[in-house]
This record gives sequence, structure tokens and C-alpha cells, in this order.
Amino acid sequence: MSGPVASPAVVVIDDDYAMRLSCGKILTKMGLRAETFEDGARGLEGVAKLKPDMVVVDLKMPGISGMEVLSRVHEIDPQIVIVVITGYATIDTAVQAMKCGAYDFLPKPFSPDELRLIVNRGLERRRLGLESQCHEVERAMLTRRFVTFVAHQLRTPLVAVHQYLNVMQHLDQSPAKEHEWIDRCLIRIEELQNLIADWLTLARVEGGAMLKERIKVDLSQIVLDILKAYQETATAEGVSLEARVPESSLYVLGDRNCLSVLFDNLIANAIKYNKPGGKVTITGAVSAGEVVIAVADTGVGIPEKYRPFLFDEFFRVKDESAKKTAGTGLGLHISKRIVSEMGGTIHVESQVGAGSVFWVRLPAAHDPEAGIGSQNDAGAETNSNSR
Amino acid sequence: MRERKQILIVDDDRDFAEAVACFLEANGLMVFRAHDGKEGIKLAKMERPDLILMDIMMGERTEGFFTIQEIRRDPALRDVPIFVLSSFCTRLPDFEIPSSGGWLAHDMFFAKPVDMVQLMENILQRIGKPG
Repeated sequence: MSGPVASPAVVVIDDDYAMRLSCGKILTKMGLRAETFEDGARGLEGVAKLKPDMVVVDLKMPGISGMEVLSRVHEIDPQIVIVVITGYATIDTAVQAMKCGAYDFLPKPFSPDELRLIVNRGLERRRLGLESQCHEVERAMLTRRFVTFVAHQLRTPLVAVHQYLNVMQHLDQSPAKEHEWIDRCLIRIEELQNLIADWLTLARVEGGAMLKERIKVDLSQIVLDILKAYQETATAEGVSLEARVPESSLYVLGDRNCLSVLFDNLIANAIKYNKPGGKVTITGAVSAGEVVIAVADTGVGIPEKYRPFLFDEFFRVKDESAKKTAGTGLGLHISKRIVSEMGGTIHVESQVGAGSVFWVRLPAAHDPEAGIGSQNDAGAETNSNSR
Repeated sequence: MRERKQILIVDDDRDFAEAVACFLEANGLMVFRAHDGKEGIKLAKMERPDLILMDIMMGERTEGFFTIQEIRRDPALRDVPIFVLSSFCTRLPDFEIPSSGGWLAHDMFFAKPVDMVQLMENILQRIGKPG
């Protein structure tokens, strides 16, 4: 899949000299690499050596039969596309050949155009075949890696808790130490719970929950509810929360739970990666048929080199400050999946040390109850996005 | 001659390292902790521990293996026993790595979570009683 792409190679096997000559000429003119052989044995040697994309073979030859050449070529590489050449009298044989894995057949006599057409179609088939083979391998590899990775992620907190308990069983610790360890165990179990919850959400989103349940959801209400739920946490972290969202106009169509998860993730992150005395500001507006919501923090910011991977599965920023913060590495990935499923976009602007803004844009749901015109005019909103 | 035998534990999970370290310390060993491969290499070269406990999947999938290779490159640390502690394959029983095990030959593999009593026995067997 890399480097300069060589032109496709075609091997022609035919005992008829005139046939080899004209096929070779036509194929070379098509910009292909063509090699011709006069019988099955030499042809198969050539195929094994050249590993061509396509083989054109006459079914009726002295020596090894065309039919045998067919199966032997596919033993060399099942992805090689084979076209058989056959006389009028042997249509039945051509059908038989196709059952044996030939891609198509060319009845003799044929015109150069017919040859070109069939070769182009065959090469296209070859390309698609290779591509899907590639994708299959890639997918299988990704799945395997993902499974081992998830297993490791799930096991890690469990191992830590297990190890604490194992040691506590054998060791008489001071009550203070014991307390500390029990607290740590609880934190690690919570980590495990969060990971399972996130993973289930991801499965729900990937399973198409967003497409099944499309009800009209008021995002302002969702944002306000989440802020209320996080008020205590934010106060404890010394972070203040502010919502600048208009009432009853930020409507989208979607799954309420998934939308809650989306903004819960963004707001939780904005608090988690903030600084004492910092601020989280959520602004919302409708603009050009889109609901635009920005979640801004005044926190540590995200170094530019990490930004392309920010929405990847299990990606976590590897900085010292971020290492101390608990997280499953799935939150932003889930958020991105939810937004994409709804036909929206999410992106981030960030400045290290100053903070980050996550922008979410979702198609707005038309609100039949509201006055026409007012909801689509972001400029008229007093609380419109001022960033 | 050192007063106490020294163990280096390299593990990115601070809780796991804490639990293991406390147990070893309570049993008379001195423990250094490192939380990634780089720190592990630094501490190994600086402290010359009598034995190293090494996690495998840390920041990178096989960070522990590379860390061991790097530690082994130091002639002074070529023969330090290294026990691999990993949750890679919990189904496997703990085992001694055979002589064919390359730079891990004759070391040991323990599945996480580790039975501390058994780990302790194996450590003492390898390095002798704490001084």
C-alpha cells in the first residue's frame, strides 16, 4: 500500500502464436505489463515468478489443460483474476471453468475492445478483492488488539484491589494505613464501574441507539441539569460554573441519554482538567440550522501534538499533570461517536496553560411551537455565543 | 555488604506497587519504586538492586520488555534477577523462565494479582535472607 504503484501485470497463456502476439500488443498499449507463454507448464512457472494481477488462459492447449492451469494458478494466489479464452464449441467448458473460479470468459474470436473491456473489469475486481482482504485483516487485528487492551484496562483496577486485600490479609497495618488502602480500593472499584459504564455506552452508540430513538431534546435543560449535578464537585475543586444558554430554543433530535452522556463528559472534563479558581463556561446558540454549544474551561490546556488523537479510543494525554487525573480514556471517544451519529461535529481549540474550548455542532430540530424566525436567528439571542 | 537487601519494583499502577512494597518492607526488605520504564532504568543503574520486579504493559504495550533489555545492557546489571509480574496471562501458573528465554532466562513469571507469601519465598530463595 506504499511506494510507487507498478502497473498491473497480466500473464497470457495460449498455444496460438498469433493470439499471444496480438494479446501482448493490446495489453501493453493499455499500459499494463504483459508476459505471454505458449503452454500451461511454462505459464505456471511465469505466474509463480511474476505474481501477476491477472491471467488470461486458453482452455484448449496441448499439455497441461487450461482447467488445470486454472486451479494451479489459484493455488499460487487465490486473488489472481483469471479469464479463460475458449472457442465457440466449448461454451459448456467455459461455464465449467467459471464454476472452478475463473472470473469471466472470452469466446474466440474476440475484438481488441472485448479484450480491453474484460481485462479492465477483471483488474477492477482484483483491486476490490485486495482492498477488502486488506480491510478484513486490519479489522481482525484491530478487534484483537482492542479486546486485549480492554481486558487489561478492566483487569488493572481489579488487580490493584486484589493486591491490597491480599497484603492486608497477611499484614497487620496501622489503622491509618488500612483506612488509606480501603479508600484506594473504593476509588479503584469506582474506576472499574466507570469503565464498564463507558464501555456499555459505547456499545449502545455503536449499536445504533441514536438512530432508533430520535425524540426532540432540549439541550439547554440537559446542560443545566448536568451543571446542577456537578455543582458540588466543582465547588470542591474551586471551579465556578456558568451557563449562557437561551431558554427553550436549543432543540435537537436524538437519544436523551446519549446527549446527556455527551455533555456530561465534556463538562466533567472541563472541571477535572481545570485549575483552582478556574471557570467552566457553557454557551449555546442556534446558527444556520445548527445548535452550537461551546464548553470552555480555564484549565491546563491540551498540547498541540496530542490534539489529533484526543478523540481516539483509550487515548489519554501523557503529561504529568494529566497522569494524576483518573479517567477511562473513553469519554471523548464516546462523545465524538455520539456527535457523528447525529450528523454533527465536535472539535477543540486549546492553549496550553490557558484552557480549552470544545465546540459541538448538531443539526437543530425545527420547533413548531416557537415563533418562526426567532429560533434560527442567533444574532437575536441575548445570550448568543460571544467567543 | 549492604545492611538490607534491596528490591526495585517497576509498575505504572501506584496502588499495586504500594501494596507489594509495603509487604516486602514489612518483611525486612528495602524497596525502591519506579512508575515507568525510564524511571526504572534510572533507579536500577543508581541503586543496583538485588532483584527487580517488573510490570510489562505500562504506558506502552511492551514497555516492561524494553526496560528489561535496557537494564540487561548494563554489565553491572546483567545478572540481576528480574521477576516479571503481569496480568497478561492470568491463566498461566507462575513459572521459572527456561534457559531458552533469552534475556529473561532463569528469571520468573508471576501472574497478577500475586500471592505475596509465594512471591516472598521466591525472592528470598533467589537473593538469600535479608541481612
